Amino acid sequence: MITSGQFTALSWQPEIEIVTFRLDNGLTLLVLPDHFFPVVSLQLHYRVGSRYEQPGITGISHLFEHLMFRGTEELGPEEFSRLLQAKGGEINAFTTKDHTSYFENLPSAHLELAVRLEADRLKNLKLDEENFQTERQVVISERKLRSVDSPFGLLEEQLYALAYLQHPYKWPVIGWDQDLRRMTLEDCRQYYRTHYHPGNLVVVVAGDTDPEKARDLLEKYFGDITPTGPPPEPQVTEPPQRGERRAVYKKVSQVEAFFAGFHVVGLGHPDIYPLTLLAAILSTGKSSRFYQDFVRPGKAAELEADLSSPPWTAQDPDLLVIRAVASPGSDLAALEAEVWTRVEELKRDGVKPAELSRAKKLMKSQTVQVLAKNFHRGLLAGLFHLKTGDGRLANLMLRNYEAVTLEDIQRVARIYLREDNRTVVILKPVSPEESQALGPLA
Amino acid sequence: MNYLPEIKHMVLPGGLTLLAIEYERVPWVSMSFMTKRGAECDPPDKAGTADWTAEYLTLGTVRRSQLQLAQDIESLGASLRAQAEWDATMVHLDGLAEDFSGHLATLAEVVQTPTFPPEEFHLLKERRRAELAQVQDDPREVAFRRFHRLFFQGTPYGHAVRGELECLDRLDFEDLRRFYQQEFSPRAATLAIVGRIPFPQVVEEVQRLWSGWEGGGPVSPPYTGPPEKTCPPGIYLLDRPELAQSEIRMGFLGLPRSHPDFFPLRLVNYILGGGGFSSRLMTRIRSELGLTYGIRSQFYFRRAPGPFLVSTFTPAANTARVIQEITAVIRKVKEEGVTAQELEEAQSYYTGHFPLGLETPRALCRRVLTIDLYELGLDYLRYYCERIRQVTLDDARQAAQRHLQPENLVTLVVGPAARCRESLAKLGPVELLEEI
Repeated sequence: MITSGQFTALSWQPEIEIVTFRLDNGLTLLVLPDHFFPVVSLQLHYRVGSRYEQPGITGISHLFEHLMFRGTEELGPEEFSRLLQAKGGEINAFTTKDHTSYFENLPSAHLELAVRLEADRLKNLKLDEENFQTERQVVISERKLRSVDSPFGLLEEQLYALAYLQHPYKWPVIGWDQDLRRMTLEDCRQYYRTHYHPGNLVVVVAGDTDPEKARDLLEKYFGDITPTGPPPEPQVTEPPQRGERRAVYKKVSQVEAFFAGFHVVGLGHPDIYPLTLLAAILSTGKSSRFYQDFVRPGKAAELEADLSSPPWTAQDPDLLVIRAVASPGSDLAALEAEVWTRVEELKRDGVKPAELSRAKKLMKSQTVQVLAKNFHRGLLAGLFHLKTGDGRLANLMLRNYEAVTLEDIQRVARIYLREDNRTVVILKPVSPEESQALGPLA
Repeated sequence: MNYLPEIKHMVLPGGLTLLAIEYERVPWVSMSFMTKRGAECDPPDKAGTADWTAEYLTLGTVRRSQLQLAQDIESLGASLRAQAEWDATMVHLDGLAEDFSGHLATLAEVVQTPTFPPEEFHLLKERRRAELAQVQDDPREVAFRRFHRLFFQGTPYGHAVRGELECLDRLDFEDLRRFYQQEFSPRAATLAIVGRIPFPQVVEEVQRLWSGWEGGGPVSPPYTGPPEKTCPPGIYLLDRPELAQSEIRMGFLGLPRSHPDFFPLRLVNYILGGGGFSSRLMTRIRSELGLTYGIRSQFYFRRAPGPFLVSTFTPAANTARVIQEITAVIRKVKEEGVTAQELEEAQSYYTGHFPLGLETPRALCRRVLTIDLYELGLDYLRYYCERIRQVTLDDARQAAQRHLQPENLVTLVVGPAARCRESLAKLGPVELLEEI
């Protein structure tokens, strides 16, 4: 727990108090007490995301997240949200490659109601054909919004589909359009039975609560739910890439762009810290290399090196993605060549001490900001626990960044930013007529 | 409510207002300089003046170049952002509390001693050109921008804050200097500081760094509207054959922030379309019909009346159906009001949610700026929940009746005409818009 008395400027390290419980049915509970504000964040992280899907039912994890709001024996569709929102709650959910997370940030006086309703929808979810058909339409609309009609959504899909041959990160979390149309209610029922039970669930309560009180609440409402055994872990490791892969994707666009992905590591690997700092050195802020070399002088409209930083890093090795958008009228091939030249220079010469120290300070700043909000504190501990088995890594994060050396940065640049480990997808603009002639978008 | 922060207030000799909150929770400080003139003061045909000026401030000072500034700020893990909004232009600096003195000095340097380096102007313009080209590919952004242009017809809110493509080459270096010289004056400006810094230290350092600043002026008279003209109601279609879905925007002229019906209307809008799954629009269009992933409505309260706007999207074939449904929902709320249960739930949402909006220094800083900009009173946070609770069912009914205008809707569709025009025509005449 952070209190003002513990603060000394130079040695400051976040120490989140994390109290861990495990119920007899396998449910894991992390409590992060903090009484600064009379609010609490309740989070349920189910160990299910696109990583657990199979071809043919891609997108089912996310579609199922929608179905969890469609009511129970007691509640009508969306009544779950309405009841908790009426207490001042922020209610939502999100699905990633590795997990599906439901959360309620609300006044601590209403924690019990939120726990009761979460248990209710785990036990008594109403899965019927009408709800299924409605939400399927909603998700198809969501897919059009996020992928099809968004400027670069399909480009990103192409990149992952090309970079991965075997691992489920190959397909988008929202799923392929045809799978969404083909899926049945029975697929969803089967999925629910397999993945939605207490043994597959990490619950976080962060904020104005006492650990024992939170445990008693969870015991009271979740204690009688029996687990159905651990769901199968995907036993797929993406084989090392042995040579660059390239593709062109044509769509209506005002700009040319390329997305390049390099296979890196998952959250549990120590290289994630130097890699995150490397991405920050390349493109976070206006003194970063990419901004100064490309964006400020107008060579690129956008250029960023994107890698989800801990605890958002994927469980299995993800891609570090370089996204480049050419300035109007400029040459994309020349831009790409120059980006790789700069990357090679970095691999050859390393980075300056000031660049590394700047990146570390940025991480410290981000962490301090995260700790201001119970919701984010809870995610930090909960996601570390879910993906690595140890929520206390949240408290070691800044030390892990601090320990990174100049040699580490150069080493990870050399290991991961290799041409043979690279997949590049180029966005080539076409007219609406040409686009139509190429057939439907997705 | 002992978590309620105390807002400390003072006015410096030159006229600058200082608002500060001591924030204990994490070692952070958020500070913002605000001049109370923004994009509404952009000269006609020079959209983007205020916003470009804000960015230009960060591109060089008498002491440091753009690169030096960026390096110095980011080496402390801090961030500097400058941007215009409607009614105000802001420069924000956020960083660790341990570096407070340096951050405050940097903010003073950027606001008080920019040099507007000529070599940066061309680069700034080209970056904006690239950004505006990209915007064309984002249907949501296209719809939002186009609605403002269409609806406000060249009046002060009738352009995009970040600029418009056809204005790019009209804006010159002198326009930005002029905006700075006129609109950046301590007499129309506020400095807000929220962080883990004792108030006496804040006062001492602010006095040292800011008391001598004379600034420019006199600032433009505030724009309070109403606009001289707005677009006639009807259906307007911007054809984008490549899109799978239609983006829909429907709106009418809303109210200024100072309007006495602010609180009842805020509650009515929560019930109508602001409250996510608790709202009638979401219930009808998404939960019952499955026609969209998201829909919301909002009154944009500004110094002058901003728009009321419903925003959604739907697979193109549903476009006309969705427009009909939205209109019917708005009409029903206007004619029949809301239910006691809906009102009670909306009230308990806002009062229950209130502390969640005070958790971070940046969120608090934002609230302080809004309180100051719209002259809501330093005790606003203390009476906010009470004002929400005081709204009666009759207040809500009257506000809905007075201010919802389903008969005056301006409807903009950005989507593939081939798949929606025919059905739209059954709702009334459809005016095809040209690309700009």
